[in-house]
Amino acid sequence: MDRRSFMLGTAAGALMISAKGLAFAQEAEGTAPDLNQFPRNETVIVHNPEGVIRNPAWFNPWVVGSGAGTSNGTHNLTTDTLWFIDPDAGIEGASDNAVYNSLADGPWEYNADFTEMTVKLKQGIKWSDGVDFTAADVVYTVEKQKATPGTPYNGAFTAQVKSVEATDDYTVHFVLNAANSRFHALFSVRWTAAWIMPKHIMEAQEDILTFANNPPVSLGPYTLHSFDPNGTWYIWEKRADWDKTAMGMVGEPKPKYIIYRNNISTDNRLIEMRNGNLDMVHDLTPEGTFSIVQQDPQIQGWFPGFPYAHPDPTLVMAIFNHQNPKFQDKRIRWALALMLDARAMSMASYRGAATLSAISVPPTGTHPRDYHGPLQEFLTNYEIDTGTSKVKPYDPTIGMQIAEMVRPQFGDAVPTDETAIRNAFGYGWWKQNIAAAEELLTAAGLTKNGNQWMQADGTPFGFSVMVPQEGVVNRLGVIIAQTWAQNGIAAEAEVASDTWDRQRVGNYECNIAWAVETWGGHPDLSFFLDSYHSAYVAEPGKSQPDRNWMRWKDPRLDEIIEKIRGIDFNDPKGIEYGTDFVKLHLEEMPNIPIMAYNVFSIQSNRFWTGWPNAENNYANPVTNWSNGRYIFTQITPVA
Amino acid sequence: MFAVFRDLIRYNIEFAIGMVLVSIIVVFSALSYFSPVDTTLIYMTIPDQPPSPQFWFGTNSRGQDMFWQLSAAFKNSLIFGITVAVLSRIISIAVGLTAGYVGGWVDRVLMFINDIFVSVPIFPILVLFYFVLRSNMDSLTLALIMAAFGWPFDARLIRSVALGLKHREFTRHAVFAGMNTRKVLLEEHLPYVMPIVFATFMNNMLWSIGLEVTLAVLGFTNINQPTIGTVLYWANSHSAMVVGTWWWIVIPVILIVMTFLGLFLLAVSMNEYIDPRSRLRRMGA
Amino acid sequence: MNSYLWFVGKRTLQMLAVIFCGISATFLVTHLSPIDPVEQVLGRLSARANLSPEAIASTRAALSEMYGTGQPILAQYFSFWTRLLRGDLGPSLMAFPTPAMTLVLRAMPWTLGLLVSATLITFVVGNLLGALAGYNQNNRFFKIFGIVAMGIQPIPYYVVAFILLIIFGFLWPVLPISGGFAMDVTPGWNWPYISSVLQHAILPGASVVLVGFGGWFIGMRALVSNIVNDDYVTYAELAGVKKSTIVGGYVIRNAVVPQLTALAMALGGVFSGTVITEQVFNYPGLGSLLIDAVNAGDYALVLAVSTVSITAVAVAIFIVDLLHPLLDPRVRTE
Repeated sequence: MDRRSFMLGTAAGALMISAKGLAFAQEAEGTAPDLNQFPRNETVIVHNPEGVIRNPAWFNPWVVGSGAGTSNGTHNLTTDTLWFIDPDAGIEGASDNAVYNSLADGPWEYNADFTEMTVKLKQGIKWSDGVDFTAADVVYTVEKQKATPGTPYNGAFTAQVKSVEATDDYTVHFVLNAANSRFHALFSVRWTAAWIMPKHIMEAQEDILTFANNPPVSLGPYTLHSFDPNGTWYIWEKRADWDKTAMGMVGEPKPKYIIYRNNISTDNRLIEMRNGNLDMVHDLTPEGTFSIVQQDPQIQGWFPGFPYAHPDPTLVMAIFNHQNPKFQDKRIRWALALMLDARAMSMASYRGAATLSAISVPPTGTHPRDYHGPLQEFLTNYEIDTGTSKVKPYDPTIGMQIAEMVRPQFGDAVPTDETAIRNAFGYGWWKQNIAAAEELLTAAGLTKNGNQWMQADGTPFGFSVMVPQEGVVNRLGVIIAQTWAQNGIAAEAEVASDTWDRQRVGNYECNIAWAVETWGGHPDLSFFLDSYHSAYVAEPGKSQPDRNWMRWKDPRLDEIIEKIRGIDFNDPKGIEYGTDFVKLHLEEMPNIPIMAYNVFSIQSNRFWTGWPNAENNYANPVTNWSNGRYIFTQITPVA
Repeated sequence: MFAVFRDLIRYNIEFAIGMVLVSIIVVFSALSYFSPVDTTLIYMTIPDQPPSPQFWFGTNSRGQDMFWQLSAAFKNSLIFGITVAVLSRIISIAVGLTAGYVGGWVDRVLMFINDIFVSVPIFPILVLFYFVLRSNMDSLTLALIMAAFGWPFDARLIRSVALGLKHREFTRHAVFAGMNTRKVLLEEHLPYVMPIVFATFMNNMLWSIGLEVTLAVLGFTNINQPTIGTVLYWANSHSAMVVGTWWWIVIPVILIVMTFLGLFLLAVSMNEYIDPRSRLRRMGA
Repeated sequence: MNSYLWFVGKRTLQMLAVIFCGISATFLVTHLSPIDPVEQVLGRLSARANLSPEAIASTRAALSEMYGTGQPILAQYFSFWTRLLRGDLGPSLMAFPTPAMTLVLRAMPWTLGLLVSATLITFVVGNLLGALAGYNQNNRFFKIFGIVAMGIQPIPYYVVAFILLIIFGFLWPVLPISGGFAMDVTPGWNWPYISSVLQHAILPGASVVLVGFGGWFIGMRALVSNIVNDDYVTYAELAGVKKSTIVGGYVIRNAVVPQLTALAMALGGVFSGTVITEQVFNYPGLGSLLIDAVNAGDYALVLAVSTVSITAVAVAIFIVDLLHPLLDPRVRTE
């Protein structure tokens, strides 16, 4: 063969194949609009933290593991369910104690022993194809998922629901298998919940597990406009009848178009926002946030100044594996807590922008009002007996100290008002007290050999500290392990890329993660606490239900959980029992609560304004929460 | 050998420059043995300080002195590269010489295995190994795995040379004199392929250090240990370039270019000295 | 000719065996992975919702059943090959029940389009300049050019890509830095779409070209500078043959044979994608697909990408071996 023609042939062939392939891969998906259709005063561009969406043309959220996008607008703009519980305060007038009645017309109604629940539904709500939303959709949602393994709530509904019926078009009545005062939680959105299915669409499908639902019939005020066949952006358009949706009844969503863009690396996010191609960013690095807020006065974080980040109702902690013999003694767990230096942890993880919490409730949303504030005095007087001496370990001034530490760098951006400092930096934490920690360790039977603590059997006391690969939790875990190591504990940070799998089977010694997540805006703690019941604790190595990663068992804990199960969600006793839990936790120190999981979510006021912030905390700006949808009813275009 | 070396320095400007660059980096790396700080600890000094008389290379956002951090990183990466190169050279010499000299079915079997190693995509395999080994994936393990994949191209090269040596007079003399195969290979043939071994040594180091950078940037190595790759990983995860801590990226890049350019010049000049064509066969790698 | 056919037959068998062993090895390594795709899905599900332990247990059972992850490894191996021989790589586990091949085919055009064109551009430009530089050894322009090429070539790829991103996306934001094409064009055979695709390919393409072309340049220069001193070139010059004919007709013709071998290998290697390019420029393609698949424990997809890649490399080696005797008569088929 002639060499030249061989080369040309290869080149031409390859180009033809790839060009044809591109056309083939792209042609399936609708028409994309031209640029003039998206004037920036009608379009909000949101960053969605998901990676490449591998099943981009799939809009059926009632199948698990489909590889479809979730926070690409699907669960923000098109799905709905009975209630929303806001992680912050909620919009005034539209929500009550952070609870929105969404598709429901009022709060849940249980019978006296919590074995039945009745819901009244709003009237006048329509699916985007004009069909009325009724009680039949709710009944279908429960019965279809109960009958179909592979749907997300198959297990939950099978376990809890005996029967469900529509007593009329706008009333649904559930009969439960067992008493459960928190059954409504399945239909209450905290990030997500059980979304209501369009009965008229789904019952026409032979197998809903293979049904792509493209384009989706929407129960929210937006419908699908177009999307990237490679799975990196989705454009949604406002419905003409947006007022026929539960979200529209809260207020008119202002943007005509909402674009969700995903798979943007951290640096590119910062660049794209600066170039005006993003209005809301899910998160940046702490350094990136400080830099962009300084460079561009139009860009805002949750707090008007330092520390900027939004505290999610998630509590980052050092979690000990209670099935490991090393952590059986609560004096050891307390000693490890007293060895830590709150200021070092705050500086290393968040560059000082952490919101600390000494108790096992996140210092976010409305919790400081319900827990941290009222407990402040109790904590200040809290005393532990080391066996040698009695110490009061709590330091209520830590937040102030950190504020002073970062003031030279951030100047006026750091608040000076004491309440503002408490809300931003936390109410206080344990004061580093090596002497007390050593007394506790000695009391627990450990001995010090040089600068190394030895166990009773003569081996060095040490363990691995599992940390995720990146982000602030990684930085926190590394400094924690380092602090312990410097004080004679042979602790070593172990970076793992699959921390989630390993904590589920208890394959770790100490784990930096969160075992506490709450509703945020509501004082009820059942969202995480219910799973702490000893009935759920699995054998070592066996997979364990989420959240009680430390596998902590205590009869007093079970008692508190059972008491909470026996009262209504809004019963004021809830706070009382929650406080009991906090005190029990302090006594046992099963894990060391450290700080809120603060997310550096930022918004740009260049094209849109009216974003939520610490002073006007009507919603959570973290873009992948479904709850953030109410933001679109509150913002206005700048021009 | 020494005369060759002297001639190279005198007459080959590329070799001389390469030698200077590599020497600077080696000395810089060796300094880490005298490091006054533990380079695995964080927040030991003021973060985000630009280069100054106190901190020659500045400090990073993790509160580490970049001078000592980089010194340790380059030491670890160089040791890593040399380990991979030595191990994979041993495999490629053994396979190449045996296949070339013995021939027949031994040759076919060895080259068959060789082809399998050439066609298996190494990057996904390395990532899979990372997940299998997880925290046990230290530098040495990674070096062993990469050595297992870094030999086939050079084995083929050595084999082709050995094929030629097989029919040369001195081989026949050696066999008549009663030397066994191992002896023939080690004493008679090995000296002839040594130049190729040295030249591919540098290329192999470039390849393995480059791949380590790729893996580390994606977070698929033990990121607590300073290496060239993990320095870039941490800079990246603190948005170093876009927030203005430029020295965290620029200084390592300059040093990396010096290292890679130095190694590359050494490889090229030695290669051209030996045989301009030998390098080309590696290009696919 | 007979001996050539015999050679082709032997090489074909060998290629098939290499593909078989390569895929089997990947299968083994993939199934050693501790990541359980079922737990991955459950993690995503229960991380966000308030599910009871009973609910999680029954979902786990349903998923293991659907994915077939509970079967013994040997059974999975046999069913993998029986399906593969029918051209079916099975459903992806992270985008269940989408066939793994659909995901591969969706990403492949981007990888091929970018890398094949970049590789060819690099090859042509690098070799042409390399040949000229080798022929005009004392030309100052080519000397400086050679130094620059040598300086860029050894820089780790990630650094080059990142510098381009910072310059053209941040300091002087003139080029798109994310994605394969803009949101306001309709995919298909129309100019706005094609120009958008080309525009988005500039930075990723340039990074690949920058890093790659030095190797060809230096290699070709070395080859040509050797050939130039061969007798037949001197004769041609003495006989007054035009310079362009000498370079194009004699010198490059002879020097390009080994380069073509390397080109085939480079093209074969294109199929595992370039993770870093895709990561830095958020560009669609096979590399990030593969990493996602590994992260999700989606071994069906890992195997699908690896199968394509192994086959491509094996076929490339095969073609090179077949062409070699034809291109270079000095090589015998023994």
